[in-house]
Amino acid sequence: MKIRDISRMAWDQVKRRKVVTGLCMTGISIGCAAIIVALSIGQSAQVYVTDEVNRNFKMDEIIVSPGGGIPSQGNGSGAPAESNDNLNPGKLTAQKLKIIQGLNHVVAAAPFEDAGYMQMLTIDNKIADVQIKATDLRMLTKFGHKFKQGGVTDLPGMVVLNYGATLGLIDNETRQKLYERLGAEPFNQELMDQYNSMSILPTEMYRQQIQMQATDYSNSAGNIKLSSPLQVGGILASPEGTDDLRASYEKIVYVSLETAAQLAKELSFTDTSMTAEPEEDTYKSVTVKVDSVDQIKQVEAMIQKLSLSASDNLYQQEQLKQTFDMMKMAALGIGVFILVIASISIIVAMTMSTHQRRRQIGIMKVLGANMGQIRNMFITEAALLGLLGGVLGVVFSYLIIMGLNKLVGTAGDGLNFFIPLMTIPVGLAFAIMTGVLSGIYPAISASRTDALTAIKRD
Amino acid sequence: MLRVENIKHAFKTGNEWTTVLHDISFEVKEGEMVALLGSSGSGKSTLLNLMAGLMKPTEGHIYIADHDIVQMGENKLAEFRRKHIGFIFQAYELITSLTVRENVELPLVFQSVSPSVRKEKALALLEQVGIPDKADLFPSQLSGGQQQRVSIARSLITEPSVIFADEPTGNLDSKTEEEIIAILLRLNQTMKTTFIVVTHEHEVAEQMQRTFSLRDGYLIHDLNSEPDTVPAPGGAG
Repeated sequence: MKIRDISRMAWDQVKRRKVVTGLCMTGISIGCAAIIVALSIGQSAQVYVTDEVNRNFKMDEIIVSPGGGIPSQGNGSGAPAESNDNLNPGKLTAQKLKIIQGLNHVVAAAPFEDAGYMQMLTIDNKIADVQIKATDLRMLTKFGHKFKQGGVTDLPGMVVLNYGATLGLIDNETRQKLYERLGAEPFNQELMDQYNSMSILPTEMYRQQIQMQATDYSNSAGNIKLSSPLQVGGILASPEGTDDLRASYEKIVYVSLETAAQLAKELSFTDTSMTAEPEEDTYKSVTVKVDSVDQIKQVEAMIQKLSLSASDNLYQQEQLKQTFDMMKMAALGIGVFILVIASISIIVAMTMSTHQRRRQIGIMKVLGANMGQIRNMFITEAALLGLLGGVLGVVFSYLIIMGLNKLVGTAGDGLNFFIPLMTIPVGLAFAIMTGVLSGIYPAISASRTDALTAIKRD
Repeated sequence: MLRVENIKHAFKTGNEWTTVLHDISFEVKEGEMVALLGSSGSGKSTLLNLMAGLMKPTEGHIYIADHDIVQMGENKLAEFRRKHIGFIFQAYELITSLTVRENVELPLVFQSVSPSVRKEKALALLEQVGIPDKADLFPSQLSGGQQQRVSIARSLITEPSVIFADEPTGNLDSKTEEEIIAILLRLNQTMKTTFIVVTHEHEVAEQMQRTFSLRDGYLIHDLNSEPDTVPAPGGAG
């Protein structure tokens, strides 16, 4: 019996028995849609969270700090073998930084030292809280930063602002009043809206003069110190996909290591002559950018051979992967459970159908159909029901995902549900498999129908 | 062509066995048209079902085209039936979801014959049974006589060695009955196909070349046979 004939006969039955077809398709489509939607939500959430984590934790970067690691026993890492103060185990020296910069797969390596939070003051008396990061400003672009305005110069006192640091600068008096009102009425939506709109108010900062201000909170007098004037030499562009409100939460002023040291001296409220001077050409922390996430561990191993500590954010990805793998498995389990329930309806419907068609099966057997042919006809019919249910399930899935996107459209900041193409064949395969598995019992039952009994029963 | 040897058939009802066929033996030659005549309960339909391989006898052998169908398993029997046996039912037994042409083609579908060949053969047979214009109609759109013509065409499409007709005129009026018998006789003449026709009507049996008469499970009369080919009731075997 040709496949085409089996398929055509199965199709005829599917068309003819509309109630059975409708029942089976509904059951399977719900199960199939459950699988596709569950996998899609899992995948969409994973993509969203992974993007967020990548943006915030920079997966392709390694943080190197002094100490730890495995002392080098030779020059396997590419490091010179001779003993030298600059290769002093535990210290993160300029020479080690140069070695790291020369390692395979290293795109850039530069010190990124957190110099604390201060207040940035413009010449027109606008103020904002900013984080100071000391680095080699020339390396900023190598770490993926793009300049919106200006660039890097070697002039002393030159700083670079990130995009967030140009937003929400307001004069001190207005700021103080707003904070007081917010403190008094924390749930006043109008005030919150006003605060939010002020937070994203841009200020032209390029080539502007700024000063850093530190307040001594250790005594009630609240002494204030101002740094010498600094010049904004460049403004970094906002990272892709980050809106202004989000960008306004992160205000960073990048300064050179020398400027950072000068700011520390100028704005310290303690007697700096009593504290130990940091050693020349040593760093507290160096950030290393690697060309591929896959090479992170390899580069880390080489850095550790320089008796340095190296840490990365890959564990975040691992944790996420494990979490999402579990979520996906749970979602798949729910979908499969629904399909199993659906398969019961198919078994019942198909068994009823077999019973109703016993006479027809008997005629076919008398006309020469063997057990295999009868079985194949029923299994094909069940598979066809599975396929149709699956196709309907795919349509349902798209409608559900569209609905979900509309639902979270306003609330979901950047979260966009999508159906990965691979989930469609997975859903269809499950649907067809359910159809076939559910059709096996009715098919065997049909093939065992006694022809004579079937014909004579009416 | 068809040889029935010492067939005995019994049913078990409760603890007792009821014998419905007693030591039946006869032979039908190729191209013959034979009637199996008997009243209700005589065992004629049981004998027909045994000869068609739809039941297994308690004892004995049935040879069709030199193959003992009693020894065949279900699938082999299905294959054999597909090639060698045609069937005409009293109630036509057409599949209502298929058109007339598709019903006629059906036995060839199980033989994996190509659609074009099937169609050609089906249309030719519908022409022969006198309903060429009904090919695309469904059985429910036909009269009883027309449906039986479809059933006849379907039984012939595989060019079987033998066609078993179980009361083919049982559901028809006398005029249509005459037409159907005329068609069977004509097809027997033109196609040289062997027919075994089960009937309880003497008028139908009389038109066949030979008639085997059954009473209470015994073959008691073969109108045209030599005396030694049909054992008397309670005879040898």
